[in-house]
Amino acid sequence: MQYSEIEEKVLIRDVKEKISWSIWVRYVVVALASFLLYLSFFDNSYLQLSLGLIAFVFSYNALAHIFFWLKKRASLVFLLSFRNFLLVLDVLAVTILIYITGVTESPYWFLYLVLIIISGFGIYTPSSVTVFIIAFFSTVFYLGMLWLVYLGIIPVYAPGFHLSQQQLFTLIFNKAVFTTVSFFLFATTIYYFSQLLHQHRDELSHKNSLFLAAVVELKDLNKMKDEFISTASHELRTPLAILRENLSLIEDGVVGEVNTKQSELLVSARANLDRLAEILNNLLDISKLDAHSLQLKKAKTDLSELARSAVEFLQPKASAKNIALDEICPKQVWVWVDPNQIFRVFVNLIDNAIKYIPENSKITVGIESGKNEVSVYVKDNGPGISDQDVLKVFQRFVRLEKDPALTPPKGFGLGLSICQGIVEVHGGKLCVESKLGQGTKFIFTIPKADLND
Amino acid sequence: MTDKKRRILIVEDEVEMLKALQLRLEANGYEVLTAQDGLSGLNKARSEKPDLILLDVMLPKMDGFKICRMLKFDQDYKNIPVIILTAKVQDSDVEQGLAMGADAYMTKPYKADELVGKIKELLGD
Repeated sequence: MQYSEIEEKVLIRDVKEKISWSIWVRYVVVALASFLLYLSFFDNSYLQLSLGLIAFVFSYNALAHIFFWLKKRASLVFLLSFRNFLLVLDVLAVTILIYITGVTESPYWFLYLVLIIISGFGIYTPSSVTVFIIAFFSTVFYLGMLWLVYLGIIPVYAPGFHLSQQQLFTLIFNKAVFTTVSFFLFATTIYYFSQLLHQHRDELSHKNSLFLAAVVELKDLNKMKDEFISTASHELRTPLAILRENLSLIEDGVVGEVNTKQSELLVSARANLDRLAEILNNLLDISKLDAHSLQLKKAKTDLSELARSAVEFLQPKASAKNIALDEICPKQVWVWVDPNQIFRVFVNLIDNAIKYIPENSKITVGIESGKNEVSVYVKDNGPGISDQDVLKVFQRFVRLEKDPALTPPKGFGLGLSICQGIVEVHGGKLCVESKLGQGTKFIFTIPKADLND
Repeated sequence: MTDKKRRILIVEDEVEMLKALQLRLEANGYEVLTAQDGLSGLNKARSEKPDLILLDVMLPKMDGFKICRMLKFDQDYKNIPVIILTAKVQDSDVEQGLAMGADAYMTKPYKADELVGKIKELLGD
């Protein structure tokens, strides 16, 4: 089977782990066996055999340990055969144990099955064929041992072994059929489940890697977007600056007299350049809010004072449209916020209201202090927003269907989205209440912080 | 001294921007020196000792932050006011600029009257 380089690395690491794990288990088994032998020291009639077995297991384990330690950079194929070889030695050890403890009467026959299970599930490779190797050696060693006993080539020391040659022959024949069939049936079952397990795990890890790749890609794309916006905004600024300076130089009469008509055009051109710059700023802010890289400079701030200065700042614009802009705020409301950012929220909400409502309307800014938070509202008695449009107000680049009687609002539809971002990074919420014909009310909350900190 | 024109060094690599700035400052009665890359900007600042320096950040050969730091940490030049005028608008850039000892940080596109106001303020006019 072919593996990719990474897969092979993972496999090698896995096999190595399993081998070193099995080496330590063998040490523990040896120690335990020695201890049990020590406990039954005085009435043990086959002490030397037991000691011999323990020594055998200990020595091949220790040799494997040293060998494994020396062969740090082994190939996958080598490691797998090394592991199989160790397992076969385990099968041999189990056979010897069975021989010592009663041959056909030994209670340790089940250890073969344990080894088959370990060989099937112990490792992350599709090398589950190992179970058949172990089943094969279990059968061969066990039957071979019985055969040698039958032929009298190896003497039987085991307690309670008093069978005649004829009885032994029948037993060996029965055991041969039984052992072979049961070992291989067992191995096949383990093989099947092990394959199933590996298959499921492979599928899962495949899906997992696809999912991770998609996440990484999305993150990269988002980062690229942010970088693009930031670079684009930077690259656009220099030409904008040149344009703006040149226009104002002409406008200011530095390079010659300008007549009124020309001056009007220049003022309009410059105002629109400023609008372009503002859009750039908004785009940059949105990308910063998205990337969670907006740095807040929080300070103890009087929210009422902020509201009043925002109202004052936009009063000329409201008056120009004959809109009554008022505030009903308590004398002082102290909160822990970034004053510049929250001021932007105020200005944005009020400015939006001025843009969207007809002349001779009314805008009220108010602050209500609650138990855990302060809520601020900007309310107007304009045309209101329809139910399906309410859902869209915070979406980017979305402009609502306008009342044809109104002058079309300018901009990119980013303002509210920015406001929402700013309020959210302060731990508050921005929402809107509106019904057609009943005006619109934008409300945002700021959590009350412990200002004594 | 009063009849002598104040001298301002503009370090800016965009020729068009440089011309416009020069025109603006000359219209406001300043004498203008120019440099189009960081290294010659620094050398001119040292040899000419202008009354004020208007510094871009993204410059060839040496960036504006570095020029600012080299002047502001030098006993002989640290009293020359430096205005950084750049398209870099991130908070971190502003912080870096001010940390380098700049007296003001202005972003492009700037408003001409604000720039001139800042220059007057720093020159104590």
